[in-house]
Amino acid sequence: MSKRESGNPMCQFTSVSKWYGPVIGVNDVSLEIQPGITGLVGHNGAGKSTLIKLLTGQLRPSLGDVRVSGKVAWSPGAKRHIGYCPDVDAFYEEMTGRAFVRFIARLHGFRRGAAIDRADEVVNQVGMDERADRRLGSYSKGMRQRIKLAQALVHDPDLIVLDEPLNGVDPVGRLEMTRLFRKLVEQGKAILLSSHILDEMDKLADSILFICRGRILASGTLQEIRAMLADHPTKVRVGTTDVRSMAVELMRMPTVNSAELDDGEILLEVEHPTAFFRSFGELVVREGVDVDRLEVVDASTEAVFDYLMELANRPR
Amino acid sequence: MQESGITGHFVAAWQLFAVALRRLVRSRQTLVCLVLIAFVGMVITAWSMRRDRSAEDFIEIFLVLHISFLLPIYCLASASSGIAADREEKTLVYLLVSPLPRPMVYVSKFSAAAVLALFWTMGSLLLMVWLAGSAGRQAWPLVWPSVFLSTLGYVALFLLLSALFRRATIISLVYALFVETFVGNMPGTAKRIAVSFYTKCMIFESAKDLDIEMGERNLFVPIPGDAAFNTLAWLVAGLLILGMLVFSRREYSN
Repeated sequence: MSKRESGNPMCQFTSVSKWYGPVIGVNDVSLEIQPGITGLVGHNGAGKSTLIKLLTGQLRPSLGDVRVSGKVAWSPGAKRHIGYCPDVDAFYEEMTGRAFVRFIARLHGFRRGAAIDRADEVVNQVGMDERADRRLGSYSKGMRQRIKLAQALVHDPDLIVLDEPLNGVDPVGRLEMTRLFRKLVEQGKAILLSSHILDEMDKLADSILFICRGRILASGTLQEIRAMLADHPTKVRVGTTDVRSMAVELMRMPTVNSAELDDGEILLEVEHPTAFFRSFGELVVREGVDVDRLEVVDASTEAVFDYLMELANRPR
Repeated sequence: MQESGITGHFVAAWQLFAVALRRLVRSRQTLVCLVLIAFVGMVITAWSMRRDRSAEDFIEIFLVLHISFLLPIYCLASASSGIAADREEKTLVYLLVSPLPRPMVYVSKFSAAAVLALFWTMGSLLLMVWLAGSAGRQAWPLVWPSVFLSTLGYVALFLLLSALFRRATIISLVYALFVETFVGNMPGTAKRIAVSFYTKCMIFESAKDLDIEMGERNLFVPIPGDAAFNTLAWLVAGLLILGMLVFSRREYSN
């Protein structure tokens, strides 16, 4: 059963600002984190670390309020609901992976027997069962990441904060961990995922928080955010057998701004993508055209982030 | 089963104490303390070769060797890295995000450092007493309470420095060498800022009760033994509470 108290969001920032002397870490941030995977994207120094430290109760806000399951994030009560996988590669190196996870379980109040059982369970869950009895000092980067993830999951938290969890993990490991994240979401958990690998965000995140200079630039699903960028018509690449006549037909659509032929395909600039795709489907059926490619080329996390940064840096 | 509330906190605090103690025992500082103990053994063995040594003689060498020099070093080795080492190694984050209240984290660290420091200081004292023969045995009841209390005082002080400063070991070492060794042996009242002053006052008072006259006493201008005891006891409690407050309120950000 979830430990979360009903009626409260998993996590809520209300007008939160944090200063380090004259330097501002986050500036008037208000947000809620819901079950599912929320990506956190921003350049170095944008305020990601400050936001995570405020959420995990390592820092206190200078202004505003951070709550986890209705409790002040700094309080011990809130920390029961949070599992944190830090980006720093630090452990008690002399311990084995399993002993470290047991230690964290004990720090969360598990009795000895329960800590052993629970640690074995999560070590198995992250695919480290056979290697968990080696000293942490002898682990590869990927193995250390898995143990960091295991210690974050050991007390079955509702909100899991993962700071660069896939750094140093091999492709097979990434796939396994991605599946694990999805499984956790199916169990009703909320995951806040900070990663500089934006391709991973495209595959993983249900919604994204874009942060720049301590402010949240945009939040929501990638499609929602992309649709809000009215200054940047969506770019759509269409591949078909009869490129020229298709381009003429497409240019007649009111939602298409421009069309150009590019490498045997059509590159469109489209406004109101939802209306465009509806009309495009009707066109294909009506004309009986073979379409071998239809791809939005600038709706990835990276493209949206670049557009947002361009907007943020534009002089007012 | 995951315990909630106070039971869960005690489970966590006990585990943290055990892990902190084990890590301290397995640290390089243990080697330093073992070398110091060997040094003490050699000095006292050489000292006790003259057969006419009295309890007064023992206390004199004990004051110079143990109280002014070794005791702060043993405590420094056990306490100064308590929180600073976790900061340096970046493992403090695991303690800060755990649901164990920060004052209990601090008390667990203090307890581990105090147990180990008491092991070294009392162990070193016992070795001195044993090697010194009858003079040592006669002096034992005079000196152990002050060693016990001043050990706790130093541990509380060095752990507080550890919670305050990243380079706590260097700052503690400067304190031990400058304040305890230099200022603590100056004439006048300046030496009252040193923990060793109160330790010595307790020893002088106990010696007086057993009709052992310390030659250094008149020059030293001690305060009464009770006042010294109370000062040390309040110092331990005050520094511990101050450390808990500092650690509870401080934001450890890299």
